[in-house]
Amino acid sequence: MSQAAHLEAQATGHGHAAHDDHTPTGWRRWVLSTNHKDIGIMYLVFAIIAGIVGGLLSGFMRMELQEPGIQIFHGLAAMVYGVDGDSAIDAGKQMFNVFTTAHALIMVFFMVMPATMGGFANYFAPLMIGAPDTAFPRINNIAFWLLPVAFILLLMSLFFEGAAGTTGFGGGWTVYPPLSTSGHPGPAMDFAILSLHVAGVSSILGAINLITTILNMRAPGMTIHKMPLFAWSVLVTGFLLLLALPVLAGAITMLLTDRNFGTSFFAPEGGGDPVLFQHLFWFFGHPEVYIMILPGFGIISHIVSTFSRKPIFGYMAMAYAMVAIGFVGFVVWAHHMYTTGLSLDVQRYFVAATMVIAVPTGVKIFSWIATMWGGSITFRTPMLWAIGFIFLFTVGGVTGVVLANAGADRALHDTYYVVAHFHYVLSLGAVFSIFAGWYYWYPKMFGYMYSEFLGKLHFWTMFVGVNLIFFPQHFLGLAGMPRRYIDYPDAFTLWNRVSSIGYYVTFIAMLIFFYATWEASRKKRPAGDNPWGDGATTLEWTLSSPPPFHQFSTLPKIDSTNAH
Amino acid sequence: MAAIEKNHDYHMVEPSPWPFVMSVAVLVMMVGAVFFMKHWTPWLFFIGLAGVIYTFYAWWADVVKEANNGVDHTPVVQMHHRYGMILFITSEVMFFVAWFWAYFDGFFRVDDVEQYARVAFTGGHWPPAGIELFDPFHLPLFNTLILLTSGTTVTWAHHALLENDRQGLRWGLALTVALGVLFSFVQYLEYTHAGFSFSGNLYGATFFMATGFHGFHVIIGTIFLAVCLIRAQRGDFTPQRHLGFEFAAWYWHFVDVVWLFLFASVYVWGAWGVALHH
Amino acid sequence: MVTGQFVRKLSAAATAMLALMPAYASAQEVGKGHPEPGQFHLQQSVTPIMDSIVAFHDGPLMWTITFIVLFVLALLIVIVVRFNAKANPVPARFTHNTLIEVIWTVVPIIVLIIIAVPSFGVLSDQLTTPDGERKYLGSNIFSFGEVDVPAASLTIKATGEQWYWTYEYVDDGVYFDSNILGKASDNYVQTVKPGQPRLLAVDNELVVPVNTTVSLQVTASPGGVIHAFAVPSFGIKIDAVPGRLNETWFNSRETGLFYGQCSELCGKDHAYMPIAVRVVTAEEFQAFITALKESRDYASAVAVLPAIQ
Ligand code: HEA
Ligand code: HEA
Ligand code: CUA
Ligand SMILES: [Cu+2]
Repeated sequence: MSQAAHLEAQATGHGHAAHDDHTPTGWRRWVLSTNHKDIGIMYLVFAIIAGIVGGLLSGFMRMELQEPGIQIFHGLAAMVYGVDGDSAIDAGKQMFNVFTTAHALIMVFFMVMPATMGGFANYFAPLMIGAPDTAFPRINNIAFWLLPVAFILLLMSLFFEGAAGTTGFGGGWTVYPPLSTSGHPGPAMDFAILSLHVAGVSSILGAINLITTILNMRAPGMTIHKMPLFAWSVLVTGFLLLLALPVLAGAITMLLTDRNFGTSFFAPEGGGDPVLFQHLFWFFGHPEVYIMILPGFGIISHIVSTFSRKPIFGYMAMAYAMVAIGFVGFVVWAHHMYTTGLSLDVQRYFVAATMVIAVPTGVKIFSWIATMWGGSITFRTPMLWAIGFIFLFTVGGVTGVVLANAGADRALHDTYYVVAHFHYVLSLGAVFSIFAGWYYWYPKMFGYMYSEFLGKLHFWTMFVGVNLIFFPQHFLGLAGMPRRYIDYPDAFTLWNRVSSIGYYVTFIAMLIFFYATWEASRKKRPAGDNPWGDGATTLEWTLSSPPPFHQFSTLPKIDSTNAH
Repeated sequence: MAAIEKNHDYHMVEPSPWPFVMSVAVLVMMVGAVFFMKHWTPWLFFIGLAGVIYTFYAWWADVVKEANNGVDHTPVVQMHHRYGMILFITSEVMFFVAWFWAYFDGFFRVDDVEQYARVAFTGGHWPPAGIELFDPFHLPLFNTLILLTSGTTVTWAHHALLENDRQGLRWGLALTVALGVLFSFVQYLEYTHAGFSFSGNLYGATFFMATGFHGFHVIIGTIFLAVCLIRAQRGDFTPQRHLGFEFAAWYWHFVDVVWLFLFASVYVWGAWGVALHH
Repeated sequence: MVTGQFVRKLSAAATAMLALMPAYASAQEVGKGHPEPGQFHLQQSVTPIMDSIVAFHDGPLMWTITFIVLFVLALLIVIVVRFNAKANPVPARFTHNTLIEVIWTVVPIIVLIIIAVPSFGVLSDQLTTPDGERKYLGSNIFSFGEVDVPAASLTIKATGEQWYWTYEYVDDGVYFDSNILGKASDNYVQTVKPGQPRLLAVDNELVVPVNTTVSLQVTASPGGVIHAFAVPSFGIKIDAVPGRLNETWFNSRETGLFYGQCSELCGKDHAYMPIAVRVVTAEEFQAFITALKESRDYASAVAVLPAIQ
């Protein structure tokens, strides 16, 4: 009998009256859910759907960019708008920008954040700290249900007029005015703004719930310094969300009133300043990138420790490195704005502050390596993703350090070098950590084992694919290819072609992923409570797979032996 | 799965329709907001808004029921609520940071030579040319005093509650609500006398949006306190347990502090040595 | 310099690889003023500013990031080889080692400081318009400045429009528009002057004299959107923001045509508002500007310049 089942068997007879006489069934179980695991699953499903949409959008972009000249978007525009000739080309140009914008917003707000802070954090943070649920189950549920609402608003935006004569907002995920104000007078941008408002409220509510849960619901004996690193990462990320998103909300509210009510926050003709928006956006935007990566850091720590059969190296440094990254992350925002005309002193400051972040991040990288050092490592699928993450994130991180130097960023800003940088930390960083977490916790969440062969095949195909996509983009950027371009001078053909081929490989990897998930659900290989052996020490592995509808009816007691 | 008794003090909340219903209402309201702003129809927005307001009511009615049943809100659950409220207020503070940021961007960088359009428009000084400011020591000061007084009345209510002086509680709350309403009214008066407009200039934008969002929070806070008054009438709070009241008071203090910042930086500092509008 | 050699060797190797691909067999040299097929590093420099960017990037930056990545990779390989379950059945239990933790905190700090020193120098050069006295780094980024740059003697204002540039010779009060060559319907292949690159060639190039410090003011049209003026081989990139006048400078030591592209998303034709700067000799420039002032007509003014082959 598992430890948890044992605990639950004991837990009869005393305590308060039971509130959960029955496990809800059918649609009510999901739609009305107040159960963190069910909500977590809904988040994950949502993230996968968004990932498919965002991935397909990037497919159109890569097909377009495979060759110089306009390849497909005039055709797409012709289909959508029923126009041809020059009008189709014009509409196609705008449509490319709309796709890029939607791709980014979907990947950021509807894929990565729901997968990490929605799915994994919801499902596993309470389990890891020995809590029966989160602190605010209803708020948890609305945080989820607001996401489909935001997603619908974003999708609606694609079908309303944006710039005159075309639909959708094509001003980039950074929504800079005046392109997002006078440049897109139609309702598309208003839908996008409100979508971000709703997604933001969802994230803030989720953050409040998770912070409260982690600070307040740790099992007896689990001091904050015994708490698993994933919980730490969620805690820090929660604070980043809580402090950064309201500023974005303010900024896009200003956009909204500038657009619809004649204010002039960003309109120079009324004394406003477009660059003010950029400050506000990046004050949110830079913490946002750490919001996307910190939960991944947490996931990787557990996987590395589990499969090395060795405790985390330098636990305290690992935890406080995340805190440090979170703090410093709030004071580096203008490194996205080196070309806006900031003064020399301001640029100097942001160069120095930005480079500081490499230090705590280095602490994390080296501590993971030290955790593996001396270990007895089995290279199961989650571990492959984790090692892939460590390497590829380092690649993306060091190009970030290049960009941090305003002097060098002058040449690289708004080129594909930046695109390469952030896909290395996102599509090869955050996404790898999500897949790592997916394979690591799949047996726990669903009770079945995935196929090790398919999981590894997925990993290797994706590893090859995404590197092919994004490594050549460094070259394009160095050679000067600007980003957000539907068409490019012929000299950039080679590396664009390689990049697009990489996409097709990645596409196959995604098919393998879906097949692997389907196969696991068909074959139903029971996973057991803990498929990973004695390296897996956190509390979720003491429960059945999947865990009972309500776990820890009697709270587990943490003594000094089962710390992190 | 069979019923499992719980052996801990956490509140295992029953499945609830409200989160989902609220989300649907939000969707309607947001789509309606676009339709409204584009002058297509206001109705969708108001239908959504009604849904949102109704769901807030229904949801919190459930919370109040749980608070009153004596079982669900154990001390640790109350602690959760405190954390939640503090975190929520923290996020609200950051929301105001954005508006202050916009204000100070105009204020401090009004004579930035490279911003030729701004300098041309404002004349290079704050407040921008052609903008007549309020006399801070007229209605704004009056409103400051109103809010400060309301801060003391709500504290009075709190102390009365702690001493189980129901009468004092009701009076304190009623006075606070009245002062809140008065504040909003005076703010409305002030707006109607503004020597500058909402649209077309940075000063009006930052002034009205910052004070407007503050005013909106005053209204929310007033409603919150009014609900507490109703609950107090019903006999809901006890000297030991009155989280709803406490949160209303916290929220009120937060609104108060935001006002002090607005008063100091927008009204007083912003009007330092400038010809004023009466 | 050693790093330069390293980069050259690397590029030679890569060029050899590229040569295997028939379409790119001609990719023999690095782009000057424009990218070359298959190019994988920065465009060739013709200004002191770009000299220092190239030296900084190809030097300290490339070296450190390459080293860090290879170092992390090496550690991972060692781990895979030595600490797999077969090779090492019993895991160690250590969780702390203060010395190593201090090392991997302090060493990156030192590395970053070493990067920061030239970084600040390169940055200061970019943001300080020459007064004739100040010395610039050029490619020697660890020096305190050795390159003389004359004070600015020509001011040009570039205004971003949707979707073309307007250039004004501020002191002479003459201006003209500069549009991409070709049409969307023919994929912009028809260039009036044969041999010019698609998407980069424009009708009216900005003409400036060689070896002259040009002070460049950049803005966008009122009521318009943000653009960015960038010429890679000059090492400049600066946003064109409505209502704002941003300034930068360049001084090209070579004549020729130098291309750049709009570098801030500005809507539908963001990819189609290239920048072309034609650097000519001082005498040619004098003839050009005189003709332009007289005729106020770009076509006839540019006719005084020798034709581009
Ligand atoms: C997960 C997301 C993520 C992460 C983690 C990062 C991490 C970093 N980013 Fe990145 N970044 C983005 C997402 C992210 N970024 C996005 C989306 C954009 C573009 C937005 C847009 O314009 O659309 C962007 C753009 C961007 C820019 C602006 C570029 C431009 O537009 O011109 C800059 C400039 O400073 C930058 C810097 C950095 C730095 C210094 C880090 C550091 O945190 C990296 C630290 C990590 C390491 C350095 C590696 C590990 C460390 C060691 C092994 C120790 C030793 C190392 C040294 C001594 C150097 N990023
Ligand atoms: C997390 C963020 C993220 C991710 C994952 C990606 C993934 C990809 N991106 Fe994108 N991208 C951005 C964020 C992201 N991107 C941003 C912010 C921009 C800037 C936009 C702007 O300029 O405004 C951008 C821009 C951008 C451009 C530049 C466009 C331009 O400048 O014109 C290109 C071009 O190639 C591109 C391509 C791709 C490709 C081929 C992928 C492929 O990797 C896609 C393959 C698909 C996946 C890897 C997703 C798989 C995930 C799932 C299916 C979910 C799984 C979930 C669970 C298991 C729970 N992206
Ligand atoms: Cu002009 Cu992009
Ligand atoms: Cu950043």
